[in-house]
Amino acid sequence: MTPGQIAKHLTQLRDAGERLKRRPIGEVLDVLGAVLDSWRDPNSIWRRDLEERLPAATGFTAPLVREGLRRALDDWTSDALRELAIRELGPLDAAPGRRVSGFDTTAVLLAGSIPMPSLLALIAPLAVRSPVLAKPASRDPLTPHLVARSISEIDTELGRCIRVASFPATHEDCTRALLEADCICATGSDATIAAVQAQVSPPRRLVLDGHRLSIATVVPPESADRRIDLAERLAVDIALWDQLGCLSPIAVFAVDPAPSHAAALAEAIAVALANAEKNWPRGSIDANAAHAIAQQRAEAELRRAAGRAVEVHISDSTAWTVILEDGPELRPAPLHRFIRVIPVANPKSLLDAIRPLGPHLAAVAIEGFGEETRALASALAELGASRICAPGSLQSPPLDWRHGGRGVLAPLARFADIEALPLGG
Amino acid sequence: MSADPRRAEIDRRVLEWMREPHWNYSEKRFEELALELFAFQFEHCAIYRRFCEGRRQTPDNVKTWRQIPAIPTSAFKEVELRCFPAENTTHCFRTSGTSTDVRGTLYLDTLELYEASLLPTFRRFMFPEFLLPDDRAAMRVLAPSQTEQPDSSLSHMFGVVLDALGESGSDFDVENGELLFDRVLTALVESAASEVPITLCGTAFALVHLIDHMNQRGVLIGLPSASRIMETGGFKGRSREIPRTELYTEFKRVLGIPAERIVNQYGMTELGSQFYDAVIRGPSEPRRKLGPPWARVVIVDPETGHEAATGQVGSIVVVDLANTGSVLALRTGDLGRAVLDGFEVIGRESGADARGCSIGADEILGRRSP
Repeated sequence: MTPGQIAKHLTQLRDAGERLKRRPIGEVLDVLGAVLDSWRDPNSIWRRDLEERLPAATGFTAPLVREGLRRALDDWTSDALRELAIRELGPLDAAPGRRVSGFDTTAVLLAGSIPMPSLLALIAPLAVRSPVLAKPASRDPLTPHLVARSISEIDTELGRCIRVASFPATHEDCTRALLEADCICATGSDATIAAVQAQVSPPRRLVLDGHRLSIATVVPPESADRRIDLAERLAVDIALWDQLGCLSPIAVFAVDPAPSHAAALAEAIAVALANAEKNWPRGSIDANAAHAIAQQRAEAELRRAAGRAVEVHISDSTAWTVILEDGPELRPAPLHRFIRVIPVANPKSLLDAIRPLGPHLAAVAIEGFGEETRALASALAELGASRICAPGSLQSPPLDWRHGGRGVLAPLARFADIEALPLGG
Repeated sequence: MSADPRRAEIDRRVLEWMREPHWNYSEKRFEELALELFAFQFEHCAIYRRFCEGRRQTPDNVKTWRQIPAIPTSAFKEVELRCFPAENTTHCFRTSGTSTDVRGTLYLDTLELYEASLLPTFRRFMFPEFLLPDDRAAMRVLAPSQTEQPDSSLSHMFGVVLDALGESGSDFDVENGELLFDRVLTALVESAASEVPITLCGTAFALVHLIDHMNQRGVLIGLPSASRIMETGGFKGRSREIPRTELYTEFKRVLGIPAERIVNQYGMTELGSQFYDAVIRGPSEPRRKLGPPWARVVIVDPETGHEAATGQVGSIVVVDLANTGSVLALRTGDLGRAVLDGFEVIGRESGADARGCSIGADEILGRRSP
């Protein structure tokens, strides 16, 4: 791909966008809803193709990809898309007092290797009737192409409104050409975000998503059955997508006046992760990731050897790791199914411990706080979390989750309020 | 020498090896001393003993030096690892880091092994042409002196090197945290004019500063052909980072020193011995790091914990007999690869792309540091 080809794509998309603007938004949503429905269908060619080819591209194992897609896409229905649009954009019929439109072009810079965020990132601009030029993430070159083809298959005209531009992130001229779009959505490392920000001048719309992380916080149940159930749900949150998404918890804060309950929970999570490894084995990792895991395991072993109340539960390989810590210090998170269980005495200590993470919090899974649940959820939202949910559902965000505290469609739209005007001369 | 007679005997034998004029990479001798030292440290360092017991690796079942459990170097930030009573501590070396970092500490009850190890190694890899014990070279050290930074093992090392191998007038060129550009430049100009080779030593970061300064002033100096550079350390917590190949190109352009006379030293506070690029000894051979016979490196597959296959990238584990007072087997934070009879250090990948929008708490905390 050359800068010239990218510029040509943008020109063609602008032309295609002229027709898109004239289509009723409800009609476009119907098409996109059908696209989502086809992705939800495990037998659709798109879904099957992705499940077949994503493991080789990303290193995820095939069972994990299947399970991850199943859980994530289940509720991403055409109805959910329509409800999202109504909630964020208002009534879909042309209302006299308001006009909603998309930008002439939207560039989407994708990151990571998890397909669902890419799917949504490509559909959202189209839903506000803006054509899309997507740059795939280097770790997932597949999803954008498949999404584009699935749209074309269902509606050729809408298919003309999406293009994919693949080039290495280091290709600055191509990036510059891509950033000529009228609206730019970028996800990635803070360095990527800063680089995009530096190159885009107003009044173009910038929708940026930097690094985020998630955590879980629970009161460990005393009952063994409930503990096992909780551990199994937490293991799903940890294991799916090998902890590489912003919805993957990096730590479980166990609010536990009696530390023995936290220890029992850590043990139960270890058992659950071992089972998860049988059902959805972790993918391959590079030497750097394995080195980080080995290093953190050894450090924890040494803290235990130094007499601290640290417990280390590990697989034979680096497939999964559970460290029971004895204090709330924040420590490195090597990911790839590496979880720390951190006991804290009470919700206030919990909030103090996670305060430094606040601006980067995506979601928090909480359970076991009884009547304090609402207050804690509010406090977590106040800290910066944009999603509070139950353990086990972190990896299945609803379509209308306001990622980063923003809307899904509204940030990509242009709203105009047309006030009552005198018609006389 | 240690107050403990058993360790004193190990120290004596290690020192004897270090002081031999000709290096002998005897596997058998290393094995014997390493296993003996492991047994001693297992007995005298309770934390290390419990660590080994946790891994079910004890002197009873560890049969080769390659099986000795290695502790991560980062552990020195959290625990005190020493095989002697705390009251016998005579020196503390601390790891470098930004003001908000927790710094690791190496406790020592003697500097004898440390100094006995560093000198012959430095000499062998930096000045292989030296034949006589009193051969010396003109040197400038771009680092603070040990008086200014008594807890820096690097400053201590340079001090020992300057005393033993530096021509008169050789000195440190960082004072009160400032690099004395004019003093260094004067020495470089004099070297060029007199055609007396000069050796520049320092951290990569300090050398970058020197090059920047010379570039700003438009100064290019063609140093005599036998001049050389020893650079060490990275750019942790610094405002500017440049790739090593680019740095070496700049050294050549600005100082006239080619890559085959630029030696990267691989050392760390927690280690008593250091490893050097063997480029001056073997300019036509592949660049790789070598060390003295009493310190060995093994590349470990982090996935399995076993020795990595030839050429495979893995964790660098060092077993260093100079570490008699702490722990001899250390798992460094670096990845490397075996190259012939040595190894190379591989830069870490960020993994940011794989992570997408996810990030570890460490990175967030790192960014909060000034």
